[in-house]
Amino acid sequence: MTRKLIVITAFSATVMGAVAAIKPGNPPDTKYKNLKVLPKNITSKKLSEIMVDEFQDDLGVSCNFCHAENKDTHRPDYASDEKPEKQIARAMMRMTIGINKKYFSLRHPMIGDSTLAITCNTCHHGNPHPDVSALQ
Amino acid sequence: MANEDLIIKDKNDDGIDRAGFIKCMAWAGTGILWMMNGGVLKSFGMSQMIDKTTGGLKKGLIIPASDFSFVQISDSHIGFNKPANPDVVGTLQAAVAKINAMPTPPSFMLHTGDLSHLAQADEFDTLDQVLKSAKTEKVFYVPGEHDVLNGDNKQFLARYGKGTKGDGWYSFDSQGVHFIGLVNVVNTAEGGLGVLGNDQLKWLEDDLKGLTSSTPIVVFAHIPLWAIYPQWGWGTRDSEQALSYLKRFGSVTVLNGHIHQTMQKVEGNITFHTATSTAFPQPQPGSAPAPGPMKVPAEKLRGMLGLTGVHYLEHDHTLAITDTPLMESSEKIAQ
Repeated sequence: MTRKLIVITAFSATVMGAVAAIKPGNPPDTKYKNLKVLPKNITSKKLSEIMVDEFQDDLGVSCNFCHAENKDTHRPDYASDEKPEKQIARAMMRMTIGINKKYFSLRHPMIGDSTLAITCNTCHHGNPHPDVSALQ
Repeated sequence: MANEDLIIKDKNDDGIDRAGFIKCMAWAGTGILWMMNGGVLKSFGMSQMIDKTTGGLKKGLIIPASDFSFVQISDSHIGFNKPANPDVVGTLQAAVAKINAMPTPPSFMLHTGDLSHLAQADEFDTLDQVLKSAKTEKVFYVPGEHDVLNGDNKQFLARYGKGTKGDGWYSFDSQGVHFIGLVNVVNTAEGGLGVLGNDQLKWLEDDLKGLTSSTPIVVFAHIPLWAIYPQWGWGTRDSEQALSYLKRFGSVTVLNGHIHQTMQKVEGNITFHTATSTAFPQPQPGSAPAPGPMKVPAEKLRGMLGLTGVHYLEHDHTLAITDTPLMESSEKIAQ
């Protein structure tokens, strides 16, 4: 009975290990809460890259543009959905991914990929709100 | 030089007025050499001092005697690899080479933040490696917002914040000068403005209490402590409170980075100075939709990491700002 239990335990551990090994993407080095568009297993480097390149540089905004302030600590509450700008940012990321998939036939486009045909900067050019005067 | 670039309104006969300094502010600055002599702090732009062809001091240049000197560098952004400067390690090494070319090694170096671009361990490692070769006894740091991205300042504190208070603020004394390193990038306000916060302000007030008013003070922090261009977050929301504690001191110098360009202002007893980046320039306030890395022709990049210089003269218990006569005036204006 004991031997049977050991065999089952060892087998389970092997299967769990194998599943963990084939999980796509890099193991997350930091746990981020409330990621809905960006991959949950995103690395801190990739997340920082997206925040700096796509948002800070392409839109000319800083953290507080989308992230609400924690009333107690007065620091950005990155998990909070309080600010509508954060919801808009998510919608914009979904739209960007969708355009790259639908019109440029990219199979698994992700924000921050160097292969993207359309990025935030395509429309924003360093502005929080794209210049739409030409369309009016 | 075009007439419109000459300083005409110079009521104080000091070579600098508001319009004048804006016209003459240089992008330049791989580093600034600060020298203390008898309680008088003077700054010299290192790119003005070094002969580009030989790498040594410019011919005929005489460095004034000083009690001690220190260097400020800023915004190294190690890890940045965009077209504005694909070789930020190389330009940091160039800054270190200029420091090492000084006839007398500076006592220490201040790095006013954004050591890294993405707050990654390998970026900090690279910076440490490059700065190891600088001929100076010690380097003092304060973080920039890029060093504490996504609310994580643990790594910065573990590496550079030993013995500091709160989010990494601290003070120390050297040669009769009281130095204060402030952190204004962990809590940022709407629009990207820096924030010091109540805890740090309280600490600052206490830190200054025991000092006599004649003690020269040097404050350094990443985001400017004066409102340069709040629309771009180039200012600190609660800096007024901090500055009010410094009013009683005869000589206060505030050194910042963040904006990647040299600007300076004198307000009463306080002289504000921002340093340029060792990595890439940023646009002048309001001249672009937003701040950010500015691409310039490759052959111009290092030239735009030049600098400007300021010094202070104490007379009748007051301070005045003048241009530092390191170069002939015609050459200086041409900068």
